[in-house]
Amino acid sequence: MMITFGNVSRYYNNWPALENIDLQVHPGEFLVVSGPSGAGKTTLFRHIWMGDLPSTGTVEVAGYRSDRIRKSDLPFLRRKLGIVFQDFRLLPERTVFDNVALPLQVAGTSPKAIRRRVFALLAEMELNHRRGSYPHELSGGEQQRVAIARAMVAHPVILLADEPTGNLDPEVSRMVIDLLIEINRSGTAVILATHDPRQVPAGTARFLYLDRGHLVNPGVWDGYRQL
Amino acid sequence: MIHLIRNAIHEGLLNIRRKLGSFLITLLMVSLSFMVFDIFLIISWNLGTALKDEQENVGIELFLSDNITEVQAVILADIVSGMEGVRSVYYVSPEEAEAVFRADLPEQADLLTLLGPQFHLPPSIQISLHPDYRTSEKVGGLARTVSGMDGVEDIVYGKEYLPGLTRAVDILEKLVILAGLVLAVSLSLVVANTVRLAVARRALTVQIMSIVGAPGWFVRVPFLGEGMLTGVAGAAGSLLLTLAVSWMLSSSLPHDFLPGKWIMLVLILGASSGAAGSWMGMKSGIPKPRS
Repeated sequence: MMITFGNVSRYYNNWPALENIDLQVHPGEFLVVSGPSGAGKTTLFRHIWMGDLPSTGTVEVAGYRSDRIRKSDLPFLRRKLGIVFQDFRLLPERTVFDNVALPLQVAGTSPKAIRRRVFALLAEMELNHRRGSYPHELSGGEQQRVAIARAMVAHPVILLADEPTGNLDPEVSRMVIDLLIEINRSGTAVILATHDPRQVPAGTARFLYLDRGHLVNPGVWDGYRQL
Repeated sequence: MIHLIRNAIHEGLLNIRRKLGSFLITLLMVSLSFMVFDIFLIISWNLGTALKDEQENVGIELFLSDNITEVQAVILADIVSGMEGVRSVYYVSPEEAEAVFRADLPEQADLLTLLGPQFHLPPSIQISLHPDYRTSEKVGGLARTVSGMDGVEDIVYGKEYLPGLTRAVDILEKLVILAGLVLAVSLSLVVANTVRLAVARRALTVQIMSIVGAPGWFVRVPFLGEGMLTGVAGAAGSLLLTLAVSWMLSSSLPHDFLPGKWIMLVLILGASSGAAGSWMGMKSGIPKPRS
């Protein structure tokens, strides 16, 4: 199992951001988590990259357990993950190349290997001509593709995409979703948080609905039917 | 690991290059803050030096009776030279005293001629003291001891000005330490806060680095390095600015610039306050992995 949530609850001042969550994600799976704002999608993601830890229960991600993980283990866990945010979170003072290269630089990859990998990935994502540009010079869609490239550059086993289409128009959103499907087909597990699960074609993913910190009808909902 | 260290250093240099404008403003603020400290140090140093020079001249002069022979005077000088706190003694014969009088006060040399060949200045013993014994209390104690010795007619040791001088040196030393500490602490806080704000502006960089799997030290080292560099460069800049001001004032107000050891102190203070600022900035900028 790639990710396991075992009866996880997370309370902030007695308010349940997540409650009694049981969840398993298999290697190479595409999971779509949807729900309204404040449902707990981002909190769920934070527990996966262990930016937050459960109040009760345990989370296990790629062999790291939330109740045993040490601070010094966190970088190693996070190198197995790629994370994409709604607001892209690109570093504004760095070029596209430098933004994408960052995860490799912090992992101690040699400059030669970094150049090779980043050039190949930018070419694959049709961003090579933009490698010297700064984020503010890019369109929203291009910025999100750069963010996805940064998330994928170190060959993560899981890609977390937290509302990646939230700031994009429908056409660009579709392209981003297609890109995530493509990434998933290459073997990377993808977990997508979205307001609108219908962006993802039926049959390509497993759908979960989160509401006020609870999973609603887990294993039943197909992402299309009204709950 | 080598690549990781290399990348961390590279990252630190890039941080500075990318935010050169903000780095220079921070540097200027640090330099101006340190200038206050530098000027305080220069005033303290020069005042201290002047008082120490004055103290250097503190000694005792024993005037001997006219009927004492040179042999007796030398024996007396030997006894005094063995006393605690005495660094050296020097016997001044009547002839030498007259020669010194004529050299130091040529306009009053006629006075000696008027008094006739029977008159001669009294012989004396000049006592030089160890630095620790140049306080009014210790000089007074020694003066009382030697004044009771046979053949000693009179004694001079700056009884009037010595207590004031001793007190002034004492107060200055305490003032320098106290005011220096207060100034150093407040200055460090100003510098640290300036660097902290500069670092906190890059909270996103810190957060993203942490999320993409940077080890803690990889995130911290460039910021600490940058903080230390800002502190040292700011302190060095303040020294250069102060040197320029000192040079401009040197003709109208003669003074010395800071000695090497004090310059090092300013640079070390700069480095440590810069590092402290970075550390505080990181504390507020790095997202906590656990809550």
